Amino acid sequence: MSEQIKISIQHLYKIFGDDPEAALEHVKNGVGKTELLAEHGHVLGLQDINVDMVAGEITVIMGLSGSGKSTLIRHLNRLIDPTSGQVLVDGDDVISYDEDSLRRLRRQQMSMVFQKFALLPHRTVVENAAMPLIVRGEDKQTALQEGSKWLERVGLQGNDHQHPHQLSGGMQQRVGIARALTSNSDIMLMDEAFSALDPLIRTDMQDLLLELQQELHKTIVFITHDLDEALKLADHLVILKDGYTVQQGEPQEILLHPNDPYIVDFISDINRARVLRVRSIMQPKTDAIEGPVAGDIDGNDNLESVIAASEGDTSLNYRVVSDGEQIGVLHMQDLVKALVPTSAAEDGVRGKV
Amino acid sequence: MATYDFIFDGLGLRGWCGEKTGGTMSMEELLARNSGETKSLWELPFPSLDNLHDACPAIAQTRGLTSGLESGFLGIKDALKVVIDPITQPLSWFLSGALSIFQTVPWFVMIPILLGIVYLASKSTRLVGMVASFILFLAFIDHYDYAMQTLAIIFVCSMICVLLGVPIGIAMSRSDGLQRGVIPVLDMLQTLPPFVYLIPLIFLFSVTEPKLYGIAIILYAIVPVIRLTDLGIRLVDKDVIEAADAYGMTDRQKLYGVQIPLALPNIMAGVNQTIMMSLAMVVIASLVSAPGLGVLVLRGIRNLELGVGLISGLGIVLLAIILDRVTKAALARVNTAQQ
Repeated sequence: MSEQIKISIQHLYKIFGDDPEAALEHVKNGVGKTELLAEHGHVLGLQDINVDMVAGEITVIMGLSGSGKSTLIRHLNRLIDPTSGQVLVDGDDVISYDEDSLRRLRRQQMSMVFQKFALLPHRTVVENAAMPLIVRGEDKQTALQEGSKWLERVGLQGNDHQHPHQLSGGMQQRVGIARALTSNSDIMLMDEAFSALDPLIRTDMQDLLLELQQELHKTIVFITHDLDEALKLADHLVILKDGYTVQQGEPQEILLHPNDPYIVDFISDINRARVLRVRSIMQPKTDAIEGPVAGDIDGNDNLESVIAASEGDTSLNYRVVSDGEQIGVLHMQDLVKALVPTSAAEDGVRGKV
Repeated sequence: MATYDFIFDGLGLRGWCGEKTGGTMSMEELLARNSGETKSLWELPFPSLDNLHDACPAIAQTRGLTSGLESGFLGIKDALKVVIDPITQPLSWFLSGALSIFQTVPWFVMIPILLGIVYLASKSTRLVGMVASFILFLAFIDHYDYAMQTLAIIFVCSMICVLLGVPIGIAMSRSDGLQRGVIPVLDMLQTLPPFVYLIPLIFLFSVTEPKLYGIAIILYAIVPVIRLTDLGIRLVDKDVIEAADAYGMTDRQKLYGVQIPLALPNIMAGVNQTIMMSLAMVVIASLVSAPGLGVLVLRGIRNLELGVGLISGLGIVLLAIILDRVTKAALARVNTAQQ
């Protein structure tokens, strides 16, 4: 698979305050977030962010509130302007765009889904879904048809002529997603899109997103503060803290090799069996396996399903296959070892409490 | 001798002040001289312009301030008139036009038209019934013509208030600087007693011109629609505005597609207030020849005709109820369409 970089964020800084340029010098000289606020009265929003987002993948940016994740996503379509740095979309620097090119970018190339849905309350559901096309000035009738089509695709039939307030939160966010899809842009920005929904609906929506993604292959930038959600959706995971990237990479990789106490804290709480996948802990092996093999499992199965299949017998070996070909072997003992929880780091946030 | 002589003597300014011209003596001075008493410290007057003038004639009296203001205004009056007269002339046309239309259309055509408008605005037959009974009652006691004159004036003035006020409110909502500048003016217009700005208007225009009271009413009634338009647009959900930006709406699309529709309940509340305030002012404006029920109120006061004053007052109350209920019903319809 060709790894075409769709969005590339390079050396992005954002400082809030009266004189960000001057404060930027301090930050580049190594002044930290708390010091900058105390001594110079400026808030450090983002600090030297470098992220490459691959076309057709879901990049999840995760962090706690105040880590700058919502600020970061707003730089991609320039709802916020950076203090310094570049955002390249298909190789073009978005930061240098004038008003017209920026509007074209927002209309054609990027769509956005919001935490609080942000639908137009005075328009019907279908008008909301068709909004991106209407904004572009396309024929209203075709726009409405397109909107209606995508509403159906996200599971909202027959609500076309209701108003947003008549729908539940989950349904409203489906309209939000339909609106983003109607715009037919390559890039979807999702700002805590599911955070305001209750857990069951949230799981539903995550499944919906993954299902749509299999079909549409958009470049999705997803913001969340929920690690389970991040691990479920991410092809590429970026963890932010206080405005800088703590670690980024493949989620399984981060889970198995956290490089910062902050991340160790984060992952100490999760259900590892549900999140870890067979391919991350198997031994790669393409030739014949010695000894008895209990069965075939898929590389993308999570460990929970393997445990269920083995009925708890730790002496078994499984053959790991992907697309019908053997890619490795999984010993149940390795599986148990991978499940040993990392305790909260002693020097981490929770260790101090 | 005046109390503050010592200051000018002490500073050696006596020469600059010049000698007292003598002139006419005030009653106060005469009394003081005759009683021959020296004033105690308790009676020390505030060093105001008048008291300083007593000590030093070169200092102007307070009377000079008011007369100076007056002569200043009279001085620029003609120049001001050259600018303001043509600008405001259409107001006179609108007012006389509306007055003649409301009065020449016969009652059996006018009343159904008004009721039709009420129904379109409120979609409520109960309200139409109420309005019908009020108007028929006013017509029955021979106040129909006066009520129509008042309605015509309110109609024109409120319309102009909305046409001017909404754009001003929108401009204010977009610029903090403009908002900071306009709000003190609005505060002043709202607190200044309406009689006060009638005075310069009388100097500027002839009392027979309809625009004289038109301007007075508009100045008084335009405030709420400006304030509430500004407020309404500023209160539009930031998330929705962000979504509009994220999908690349132009400022114009955002204004007409998002901000004004979402601010409409507030704007309508402002229109309601504006109409009520123009009704209040149209009564006062009868002092400067505005026709309508206010004339009867004024007659009641001038001639102490108790009955005339009370009945016309009741007529104004009925008109107020009609205008308030109809605009509120329209507002409620806007609200339910959005919620």
